Amino acid sequence: MPCLPKILISGLIAGFPCLSPLAACAFEGAADLRNRPCVDCHACNAPTREAPCLRGCPRPHEVAPTPIPATATADIPDFFVLDQLSDLYGPVFFPHKLHADMEGMAQGCAVCHHHNPPGKILGCKECHGGPSNPEHLGQPGLKGAYHRQCLSCHREWSHETDCAVCHQPRENGHIIPVTPEATDIMGRLHPNVKPPGKWVYKTPDMPEGGVVTFHHGEHIQLFGLACVECHRKENCSRCHGGTAPNHRVRTDPHEDCSACHDVSDNCTRCHAQSETAGFEHGRRTGFSLKPYHSERDCAACHVGGKVFGGLSPDCRSCHAPDWMPEAFDHKLTGLELDELHQEASCADCHVAGLGKPVGCAGCHEDGKQYPETLPGKRVGDATAPGK
Amino acid sequence: MKVSRRGFFQVLGLGAAGAVASPDRSDASSPSASLGEGMGMLVDTTECIGCRKCEYACDHAHELTGQPPSAFEDLSILDTPRRMDEDSFTVVNRYPNPDNPEKPISVKIQCMHCLRPACTSACLVGALQVAENGAVVYEAWKCLGCRYCMVACPFGVPTYEYHEPFTPQVRKCTFCHERVTHEGKIPACAEMCPPMALTFGQRSELLELAHKKIADNPERYINHVYGEHEVGGTSWLYLAPREFEELGFLKLGPGALPSLTEPIQHAIFKFGIPPLTLYGLLGAMMWAYRNGDDPPVSHDMEGETNDA
Amino acid sequence: MTHSTVRAEPARHEFWTPGVYFLIAFTLIAVGIAIYRFLFGLAATTNLDQEHPWGIWIALDVATGVALAAGGFTTAAALTHIFHRHRYEVLVRPALLTAMLGYTFVALGLTVDLGRYYNMHHPLLPSMWQGNSVLFEVGMCVVVYLNVLYIEFLPVVCERFIGAVNLPGFLAALNRPVDRLLRFLDRTLSKVMFLFIIAGVVLSCMHQSSLGGLLLIAPYKVHPLWYTPVLPFLFLLSAIAVGYPMVIFESLLASKSFGRKPEMSVLTPLSRLVVLTLGIYLIAKAADLLIRDAYVHVLEGSLESWMFLVEICLGGLLPMGMLLSERVRHSPNLLLAASTLVVVGVAINRINVFLVAYQPPFAQKAYFPSLMEIFFTVGMVAALMLVYRAAVTIFPILPRERAVRAGRA
Repeated sequence: MPCLPKILISGLIAGFPCLSPLAACAFEGAADLRNRPCVDCHACNAPTREAPCLRGCPRPHEVAPTPIPATATADIPDFFVLDQLSDLYGPVFFPHKLHADMEGMAQGCAVCHHHNPPGKILGCKECHGGPSNPEHLGQPGLKGAYHRQCLSCHREWSHETDCAVCHQPRENGHIIPVTPEATDIMGRLHPNVKPPGKWVYKTPDMPEGGVVTFHHGEHIQLFGLACVECHRKENCSRCHGGTAPNHRVRTDPHEDCSACHDVSDNCTRCHAQSETAGFEHGRRTGFSLKPYHSERDCAACHVGGKVFGGLSPDCRSCHAPDWMPEAFDHKLTGLELDELHQEASCADCHVAGLGKPVGCAGCHEDGKQYPETLPGKRVGDATAPGK
Repeated sequence: MKVSRRGFFQVLGLGAAGAVASPDRSDASSPSASLGEGMGMLVDTTECIGCRKCEYACDHAHELTGQPPSAFEDLSILDTPRRMDEDSFTVVNRYPNPDNPEKPISVKIQCMHCLRPACTSACLVGALQVAENGAVVYEAWKCLGCRYCMVACPFGVPTYEYHEPFTPQVRKCTFCHERVTHEGKIPACAEMCPPMALTFGQRSELLELAHKKIADNPERYINHVYGEHEVGGTSWLYLAPREFEELGFLKLGPGALPSLTEPIQHAIFKFGIPPLTLYGLLGAMMWAYRNGDDPPVSHDMEGETNDA
Repeated sequence: MTHSTVRAEPARHEFWTPGVYFLIAFTLIAVGIAIYRFLFGLAATTNLDQEHPWGIWIALDVATGVALAAGGFTTAAALTHIFHRHRYEVLVRPALLTAMLGYTFVALGLTVDLGRYYNMHHPLLPSMWQGNSVLFEVGMCVVVYLNVLYIEFLPVVCERFIGAVNLPGFLAALNRPVDRLLRFLDRTLSKVMFLFIIAGVVLSCMHQSSLGGLLLIAPYKVHPLWYTPVLPFLFLLSAIAVGYPMVIFESLLASKSFGRKPEMSVLTPLSRLVVLTLGIYLIAKAADLLIRDAYVHVLEGSLESWMFLVEICLGGLLPMGMLLSERVRHSPNLLLAASTLVVVGVAINRINVFLVAYQPPFAQKAYFPSLMEIFFTVGMVAALMLVYRAAVTIFPILPRERAVRAGRA
C-alpha cells in the first residue's frame, strides 16, 4: 500500500485524485498488440515514443475491450476521492479495492472499466470528462458515468438512491473536510466468497437416476474455471438484502452444464442413483496421473482450451521418443534448479515420492528447509501449482 | 450488510443531505444545444434509477411548489401510478421488472412535445405553439381557458388550475424553453439527472443514438423507440427494456392527430369557397322558388322585397 | 320579409303564474352558482378534473344548446324563406326567438365555463386567429351567427316600437330620433334581410358540423360507437333532423302554456318532413356503424353500449315509428311526445359524444356532474324559458289567435 499516503495527499490537499496508481494497474495484456492495426490505438499516422498520440477513449467499434485478468486486482489502488465535480456536490470516497474484490462474481474489472485499449486501464474521467459532450451524445458526462456505475448495483440491493448515501455533506455551502482513517478503508474488504465443494441436486422425475452430483470446487480447482464463466449474470441482490428468491431461475436447468458438456443424449453421465465421486483421471480414462503427472495442470497436456481427451496413454505420444527421466527439465514445475541441485537425482529430494513433501535433511545438515530455502529460483509460469 | 455500509460512510462523515445543493448551477451547459431545429430528449429507462431528482429539478426551475429536495425523496409513492398536475410538470412512475425484481423500471413522464401536436392545432387562439426548437410552449395571456387542448392531447398531458378563480392557466412541461433559448442551459431535469438517463440534443441525432444503442445492446432494449413515429413523432424519445404498454405508455398509431381535423378545416376555409358556394346555391334557390307554390295563408304581402 | 308577418302580436296572457315564480327561483339559483364560480373557481363548483376537462356545461349548455336552438330556426327559415313555403311562416318568429335566446345563453354558459372568460374576444382578433382549430371555426361561426340572429330579430323590435317609442322621464326627448332610427333600420333591413337569412343558414351548417369535428382530434379517447370520421356530417344531419321536431315541440308547448289552439294545420305537414330528415340521419348513422364495423360494440353490455341503445331506440327509432303513423301526426299530444323524443334523443347524442364516449386513458375515476353543475344547467334552461315568456309578452312573436283560426279553417 505505498500509494495510500500519496492518495491522501493528492486527493485531499490538492483536491485531485491520484492517477499514478493506474500505472501500477498496467498489466501484461499487450501480447497481441502486434496483430492489431496501428490505428486501433494511435490517432496519428506516425506515432513516436515522444508523441505516441494514443487514443484516449476507444469506442467499442474501434477497439474491443481488452479483458483485464483477475490477477491484476492484486495491485489495484485502494480508494479514490471522486471530487472532480466537487464545486457542485460533496465529494465521494470510493473504496476502489473493496469493489474490485467483488468483481469475481461479475464480469471482472470490465464491469466498470469498459472500453479499455490494449495494455492500459482507463479511469472513468479519461473518457467521461466533465459535462456531456454534445458531439458524443451516447457518452455520458462524468456525473452520469459515476452514477450509472454506482447506482446500477447499489440501487439493486439497497434500493436507496439518496444522495447522502455517497456524497459528503455540505454546510453553509462549504464541504465539511473529511480525513478518512486509513485503517477504516483497509479493514473493509469484501469477504472472499467461499466456493462450495459440491452441490447435490435431486431430480426425482428422472428414471435414469434421481441424483446429480455437481462437484463445484473441482471445476474451479481442477478445471481452472473462473467464477464468471458460469456465473455470468449474477447480481448483488442475490446475496444482499433484496426480496428475490435466493436462487437463480433457469429456464433450462441444463444450461450451465451444457456450455461445456454435451448433455443431449447421455443422461446417466450426470444423473445417478446416488451421489457420485469427483473426477479422478485414472478411473475415468484408465491413465493414472500418479506419480509423475499429478501436479500438472490439465491444460499442460490437454492443449487447446476446453477440449479434453484424445490423448494416448503411450508416453511417446507426448514425450519425445528418446525421453528419459534423466532428461526431465525441472523448470517445467516452476522451479528452476540451480546447478548444484541439477546434479542430484530425483529421489534425493523427493524422498517420499513425487508429489509428496520434500526432504532436504539427506544432504543439508544445517537445517535448511523447503520451501523457506529454494534449491534454485521460481520461474514465471505459475500455472503449475507448487504445492 | 446495509447497516455496516451505512456505518462505513458515517465514519467518514458522509451521511448527510446537501449533495444536491446547487441545482441552478449548470454542470452540463451545452452551448450548441441552445438553439436550432428540432431539439429532443432521449430517455433511457434502463438507466433511470427512479430517484425523483428530475421532479425536484423541475419543481425548482419552474418555482412550482418550492418544496425542498427532501420532499422528493419518498420513493414509496412511485408504486402508485401518478399523473402530472398543475404543480408538477413531470412525475416518475415505477413498474415491475420481471427480469430482475430488484431493479424495477422507472419511467419519467411529461409533455412529449409532439412534432405535430394536437393541442396547438386545437387551441383556437394560438396560446399553445411549437417554438422554433420544437418545444410546445404556452402563452397564458392569449388563453381563454376552454381546455380543448386537454381534450385533444393523446397523452393526457395538459393540466389546468381548476382551483384558480381568476387567472387559471394550462400547465405542462415547457421543455425549459426559457432556460434553453435565453440562458443557454439544458432542461433542468436533464441537467440534474444523476445517471444522465436523459440526453438532450438534436432529435435527429438522438434517434440515431437510440437505434445505435438498440443495435449495440439488443438484449437490453426492445427494438422500439417510443416517440419516433407515435402520433407523427414526438421530441421526447424513450428506450425501454420491455414493451412500452407494460410501462404505462399508450399504444398510438403513427398518424399525426391534426391531420384528422385540419384537412377538413382547410377545405372549409380555403378561400372561403365552400361556404360561399353554399351561400350562392341557397341564394339561387331562393330566387328560383320566389313564386312559391304554397302562398302564405291569410297573408297580404309576399316576396323578400316586400315592405311595410 | 320577416317583417311581413304582420299576423303576430304580443301575447295577451297573464305573465305572473306559479310556474313563472318557479322559473325565477331556478334562475336565481343559477345566478348564485355563477357568482360562486366566478369567486371561487371551477374546482369549487364542478366535478371537472385533469382527465375530464369538459363537463355538462359544455355537453349540454353549449353542444346541445347549439343543436336545439339553431336547428329549429335554420330549418324553418330555410323552408319558409328559401323554399318560400310561406304557410310555415307562423313558426318562424318563435323559432327565431328560441335561436336568439338559445345562442345568447350558450354564450352565457360558456362564459361561466371558460377559465379566462375575459379573453373571450381573443378569437376575434386577427393576430390570434388560428385557422387550424375546429373550435376557432365553431367560435367564429357562433359569434357571427349570434349577431345575424340579432339582426334578424331587429324587424320584430321595429314592428313593436315604430310609432310607439315612449321613453321615460327626460329621455322622452329622444323619442323622435329613436323612432326615426327604427324606421330607417326597418326600411334598410327589409331590403337586405335575405342576405342575412342565407348567411344564417350557411353559418348554421358550418358550425353544427364543426361541433362534431371537435372530438375528431381525440381518436384514442372517444368510444368507437361514436368516433367516426364523418362525425361532423352526422352532427349536421342530426341538427337538421332535430330542427322541425324542435319547432313542433316549442309550438305545442307554447300552445299548452298559453292556452292556445295547437297549430296543427302547419305542424302536421311539418311532421311529415321529420320522417324524411330523421330517416336520413338514422340511415347515415346505421351505414356508418356498418362500414366501420363498430356495430360489434352495440351489444357489448357496457355503459357505452346501453347509452347508445337508449340514444338510438328512444330518440331515433321510436319517434320515427310514431311519426310514420298518420294518427300521431294529427294528434297534438302524440306529436308532442314524438317531437320530445327526437329532441331528447339529440340531447342524449350530444351528452354521449362529449361525456359518455369520452374515455381519457389515464382517468382514475369517471366524471359525473356536481349538483352545482346540474342546477346551473337547469337554471339556465329556466332562465331561457323565463326570458322567452317575457319576450313573447312584449314583442309580436306568436301569431294572432285570429290568424291561427283562419289557418285552421
